[in-house]
Amino acid sequence: MIGHPGASPAHLRGSSHLGAFPHRSVFSSFPLTSTATMILLEYGNLVLKTILKEHFANHDPAKPSSLSHNFADFDGVQFNLATENTDRNVVYLSISWRCFSELASYNAVSHLEKIYGPLVSSPRPGYDFTLAFNMSQLPASETERDELIENLSLLKRHALAVPFERAFDAQLKGDTLPLMQISYRNEESIWIKTDKDRVTVIFSVTFKDPADIVFGKVFLQEFVDARRQTNLQNSPQVIFYPEDAPAELTGVKGIVTDKEKKKSIGYVTFVLFPRHYDAVKRQNTISLIQTFRDYLHYHIKCSKAYMHSRMRARVTAFLQVLNRAKPEVVADKRPAAAVGGGVRSFRQF
Amino acid sequence: MPSPLRRPGGRFRQTIRPEFAPWPSFFPPPPFSLLSPCILSLAMSATTSALRPYLNAVKASLDASLCIENFPSQLVERHNKPEVEARSSKEDLLTPIVVSRNENERVLIESSINSVRISISIKQIDDIDRILCHKLTRFLMMRAENFVVLRRKAIAGYDISFLITNFHVEQMYKHKLVDFIIQFMEDIDKEISEMKLSLNARARICAEEFLKHF
Repeated sequence: MIGHPGASPAHLRGSSHLGAFPHRSVFSSFPLTSTATMILLEYGNLVLKTILKEHFANHDPAKPSSLSHNFADFDGVQFNLATENTDRNVVYLSISWRCFSELASYNAVSHLEKIYGPLVSSPRPGYDFTLAFNMSQLPASETERDELIENLSLLKRHALAVPFERAFDAQLKGDTLPLMQISYRNEESIWIKTDKDRVTVIFSVTFKDPADIVFGKVFLQEFVDARRQTNLQNSPQVIFYPEDAPAELTGVKGIVTDKEKKKSIGYVTFVLFPRHYDAVKRQNTISLIQTFRDYLHYHIKCSKAYMHSRMRARVTAFLQVLNRAKPEVVADKRPAAAVGGGVRSFRQF
Repeated sequence: MPSPLRRPGGRFRQTIRPEFAPWPSFFPPPPFSLLSPCILSLAMSATTSALRPYLNAVKASLDASLCIENFPSQLVERHNKPEVEARSSKEDLLTPIVVSRNENERVLIESSINSVRISISIKQIDDIDRILCHKLTRFLMMRAENFVVLRRKAIAGYDISFLITNFHVEQMYKHKLVDFIIQFMEDIDKEISEMKLSLNARARICAEEFLKHF
């Protein structure tokens, strides 16, 4: 019914063997859904995975090759994957993200150390966080190497997971934390509020194009309404606030109050209860909620592309109707059908 | 002073058969000397009328209006311009007609001696309709070259305009041209509502799929 024009979304949600390197225990509760759902975005970085896979496959211990790649991820994340000239065996993976200082203030570095262990290195100049690994000490088996690649590709996801983990832990202990803000994009932020019995995650969503504002509202309204379905009763409650920020954000700095600017902004609140972040579901919930904004925009773009292809088809159909008005020009005395029913077209007069 | 180039009084009697006349036969023909638009409204009651009579009325009006002939410019030698656009002389223009189904949907037919301009206002109920309509008409008008009779820009207050000159009518079947306009009006409404439905359907599927995974 609905076409998926353009590139299909990356759809494999993690390989089925996440975990061993370097700290198996951290990933043991990671969701392992092998069903390929075309509709959701992938959490890891595909470019990173592809490059590393190739690099690992072509690695020659006698003559290590050099690497130098800059690439981006969602939300303005810049990655750098490079080797140094002095020792090509050591590969540095660096990340730069405008909200990294905020994440660091929520103990991101120590959290990432727990995940990546000995790989954590001092940040390279111009970057916020760096991982380094030695090609001569790669795990031997193919599956372990794949796990390493998978874990490295999830660097952005793990960094942004920190405030969520913090909030969930605090709520389960019964503490309340001050409102945490993550300004992950130039004009958009995530706020995480911890209450006695729940954790509220608030996204600000901006749209540049006037058409996107309208489409975005349609999509967000559906997120709000979807919970009425019986099979979605257990999903978190979604509240959409067009233009005005919800009450939770009163007094927060940087909230847009300009009447004109407000029109392109909306706020989306996800209300998470302990059942959404118990030991089993926690990692999945964090991954999923992180991709919310990109998921929304991805599908708005998809629907625009679909409309475009529809309009093309419609133009062709209209032209056919118009061509019927043009008398068939018979070049010679043969009947029209014998001429070959050639292409009829118009010329400007 | 009537133009010496126009056959006095002949043009209308020649083409309008009573069954196709856009006005009831017991009415006298509208005074074409007046340049205020003659408004033919089908929305007699508060409820919107059906689509078919509206399209029939447009069809009949178009059939009557498309009585055009070659007419070189009276001002510049060797120029031949559509008078409805050039508006070089009052006497070459006829009274515009508006056929309206309701306040949102209407068609303006402006005729002149050698050309007819048809402007359509498409139904737009909400913001989504407006955006979709804008997208679609813009898409079409960017391809006006292929459509020959489509105007690159719509008349103010309307969404899309066509300009049919005597050359078009000479080179194409007139009744098929009228059919094209009618079909266009039918399909564009259908297209917009289908696009809207597909947008809503996709939004629903996306939202459900996302929330299902929590």
